[in-house]
Amino acid sequence: MSENLWALREQKRLSVATLASRAGLPIGAIMEYESGTRSIDPRHLSRLARALYVEESEIRLRSDPRPAGSQLQKEEPPKEPAPTSAMDSSSPASNTRAPGMPGGRQRIARPPRVVSEPRPPAPARPSQIAHLEDLIQRLGKDRAAFEAELGRPLEELNRLEASTLLVKLQTELRNAPTPDRHRAYLPEAVDQYELNYLMAAKDHGSVLHFTLFDGSRVEGLVAGFGPYNITVRLSDGSELTLNKLAIASYRWRPGTQIPDAQEQVR
Amino acid sequence: MSLGDQLRLLRARKGGVTPAEIETALPDLPKGLYRLAEQRYRAVGDDNSIQMLADYFGVPFEDLRWRLDWSRKALSRAFVHAIDAKLPITLHLSNGEVVSGEVKWWDLGAAEIATANGGVVVQRHAVERWEPRTPEPED
Repeated sequence: MSENLWALREQKRLSVATLASRAGLPIGAIMEYESGTRSIDPRHLSRLARALYVEESEIRLRSDPRPAGSQLQKEEPPKEPAPTSAMDSSSPASNTRAPGMPGGRQRIARPPRVVSEPRPPAPARPSQIAHLEDLIQRLGKDRAAFEAELGRPLEELNRLEASTLLVKLQTELRNAPTPDRHRAYLPEAVDQYELNYLMAAKDHGSVLHFTLFDGSRVEGLVAGFGPYNITVRLSDGSELTLNKLAIASYRWRPGTQIPDAQEQVR
Repeated sequence: MSLGDQLRLLRARKGGVTPAEIETALPDLPKGLYRLAEQRYRAVGDDNSIQMLADYFGVPFEDLRWRLDWSRKALSRAFVHAIDAKLPITLHLSNGEVVSGEVKWWDLGAAEIATANGGVVVQRHAVERWEPRTPEPED
């Protein structure tokens, strides 16, 4: 039992353009086959059958014209033909030009799409509720007060609402000031304060007084320094590098203005 | 001076022997303990290990053992407490010097104490003991 090409195509919910693309044939040829203007070329029959997932025998070689008032002939072409483009032809609901057909331009309408009833939103997942509870607690909020503000219990949220609320609370938590926590007495800088102090002394050209472990004292300008040593220029112009392990303490020359190393770190 | 700083000083006085050489010389010392004891800010070591190290360096056991209770971390805690409580701190240095005053800044190498005679930068490894001591947190 063979069927008209246009009927098969519509059963498969394909546009002319899609069928043409699948079969690798020109749109115009499909239009001509469907309108019954000419019979399907035997070379094209197998292609159309494959594109439609039917047997070749199921396709009528010469389609009957559509009955009057059918979707294919529902609309008259506009008096001034609209420009057609490749994009137009690729759209399932687009207007396509049918060369050789009376009127030249026809609207191909797809059968009305069955619109199913929207499903009710799924309730929030238990994991979402648990995550919300955790965030509420971490933000220091009271759950009852939060639910009162929300207008309903957390369990009555749907999945989308819970997700939106989670994002909001996570953002709020991220932006919240970090609560004080116990740190293991880490300094603000590893050795930055001392380096700044020495840098200021060097820039200032000030004499530093060093007290060493062995009781000796050294005075001099800071010529350079590193993490483990300080090089001072003595009054006779010579330089002496002191290992910090040998230093007990040091200070600026009394009476000089000492820059605030703590401020310099910040 | 903490145990770690004291060990480093003793190592320097012994001609700069390396931790690897010490571990080779003391095969009974738990592996890696020497490096931890020297480098860590918390107290590391037990009586047996400290006895072995004291024998190696030729110093009395007690000269090393008491330092376990005066670790670098405990000094940091005292600095923090002095700054937070706005209290002066008194540092007893290993050269006999006593430095007392407000802590202006501190880092892992040194601290500046604002004394009555001006600021003094004290090398942390020079600090033997200090007052007030701050108890360890319970957590």
